Amino acid sequence: MSKLKNVVDERLKLRKTEKEKMAERRALMTKEQLAYVKRKDAIEKIWPFFRFLILFGLCFVILYPLIFMISCAFREQVDMNDPTVMWIPRHLTLDVIKETAQAIELDKTLWNTVKLNIGCSLIQVVTTSITGYGFARFKFKGKNIFFGIVILMILVPPQVILLPQYDQFMSLKLINTAWTMYLPAMTANGLRAGLMIFIFIQFFKGLPKELEDAAYLDGCGPFKTFVTIMVPNALSSFLTVFLFSVVWYWNDYYVCNSFFNTNKTLALMIKNISTVLKGALFNDASLQVSTRELVVWTQAACLISIAPMLIMYVFLQKHFTEGIERSGLVG
Amino acid sequence: MDNVKETKPKKKQKKKMSYEKQKGLYGYGFIGLWFIGAVIFFIIPMVESFLYSFQNVNPQAGGMKGDWVGINNYAEAFSKDPHYREYLIQVLKDTAMTTPLILIFSLFIAVILNQKFKGRAFARAVFFLPVIIASGPVYAIITGDMDTSGTNGAEQFSTVFETDMVTELLEFTGIYGLSDTLTQTIKTTIDSIFGLVWKSGIQILIFLAALQNIPHSAKEAAVMEGATSWEYFWKITFPYVSPMIIANLIFTVIDSFTDSGNAVMGRIIDMQNEWKYGVAAAMVWSYFAIVMIVVGIIFAVVNKHVYYEVE
Repeated sequence: MSKLKNVVDERLKLRKTEKEKMAERRALMTKEQLAYVKRKDAIEKIWPFFRFLILFGLCFVILYPLIFMISCAFREQVDMNDPTVMWIPRHLTLDVIKETAQAIELDKTLWNTVKLNIGCSLIQVVTTSITGYGFARFKFKGKNIFFGIVILMILVPPQVILLPQYDQFMSLKLINTAWTMYLPAMTANGLRAGLMIFIFIQFFKGLPKELEDAAYLDGCGPFKTFVTIMVPNALSSFLTVFLFSVVWYWNDYYVCNSFFNTNKTLALMIKNISTVLKGALFNDASLQVSTRELVVWTQAACLISIAPMLIMYVFLQKHFTEGIERSGLVG
Repeated sequence: MDNVKETKPKKKQKKKMSYEKQKGLYGYGFIGLWFIGAVIFFIIPMVESFLYSFQNVNPQAGGMKGDWVGINNYAEAFSKDPHYREYLIQVLKDTAMTTPLILIFSLFIAVILNQKFKGRAFARAVFFLPVIIASGPVYAIITGDMDTSGTNGAEQFSTVFETDMVTELLEFTGIYGLSDTLTQTIKTTIDSIFGLVWKSGIQILIFLAALQNIPHSAKEAAVMEGATSWEYFWKITFPYVSPMIIANLIFTVIDSFTDSGNAVMGRIIDMQNEWKYGVAAAMVWSYFAIVMIVVGIIFAVVNKHVYYEVE
């Protein structure tokens, strides 16, 4: 404690002397320089206020829909037509959430989504990391051509190849099964696989080569080296890519919409939410109901579908942001 | 000790040739699985879809069957289809408008988030939040809520929140009554700020990481020389961040073009739902060609003005 106090005291002393120094320096300054220093001080005093305004406003813009979602999901429908109710619902209820959960068959859908999501992401992280390592650390003929294919995978939107893929899966009788998602993931060709391979290439390039050379000299084969030396060193990067992959699979409705005939995942449920809700609430999916009347249930469904991602984000936020910096995407 | 030193290098040299070759083979081993997958799930489908674009495709029990029709599909996409050309121009225009805005905005926010202040961690967390939501179907519903044009019920509802608050603020500051165009401009700006903030998550993240990579010596030198923050931004920050500007630029452009929610993509899905696979393929390929040309031009132009630090 006393040590700490000493340090603090010393710091304070230093600061004081700095202040004195500033005063001395000011005495020697010309008028122009003084004006410049004054202007700078003024800006430094005003800027935090403006910064707060800007950030507060923009944060509000981002959080507003989420607050709205939460506010709607826990109120009765009557409150929607009550102009005095803005944020805090007059009739607090969990019924809407329950009804929505029933309508989208939450237990089944959620389990399906999680299975598909975690499974595909895990598999794809493993396969893309192996591919990325191959590109980053080995020289072989035709590497540039192969790398070109990776870049093409990033650039070509999935819409281009979905139809022939559908055809392929059709001939294998795999349509409407989870294999349509698993098979591409197993061969490092799933959702945004190109980008993931690219991130891993950049990341492995950034690791020092001495690590592996030592292992090779000790008689370790390349694959064993990869598993025992590189993977443990790259865990944080693996986690980041995995998290992003989970988010991408969670949010994807386009690809699974083409391969599944039924609303098997949460994203598909949300995509067709008004039809689903009409079917469940009014027993008639083709009924014309205005979106306004469905607001509470729609918002509840949205809340349910993003809640797992939000929770994950709150707890693992650091890995989302720091990983990008470390993965070598930058610099 | 001496013995070891003498024998080891010899062994190494002897092994070196075969070792390099071996390593190359292992390289194939590492990318082999991916390559097989890429041929099955990427290259073959791509070639097939390219062939579809010249065919009249009919789905049948055994798979797709096509008759060769030459460039008819392309002709139909561009001249006969009532929407394709219009949507194409709209998407190009939108991308051209929003991309610079997103870049400037995200750089600005990244610079702010890089400063030290209380609650910075919270602000960062909020600004990156769209990354986990904006690519999903929930975003469509959220934008529906926030849209103030009022074409359906939910929007009318949310205008109670949004536009009225803006109006009140404008009235409060006395700007409201001045002129209709001014009010309208402010309102549209506020509407587009929403889209801007929600689409800039990754870009802010990348810029922020680049900002943190600016060497301390550069900062110190600038402070010693008495640079104002304005000068500091243009002479230090901007050059150091410029390689990331091009990365972000291309990322933003591709993201905007391949967004499943944009009009051209929507039209392509419509065509597929009408079983017109040939025309859909032609649309996809012409669209893809245009995107590639745009990205190529951007890259060629911007890359010349980027400052790369020599290492």
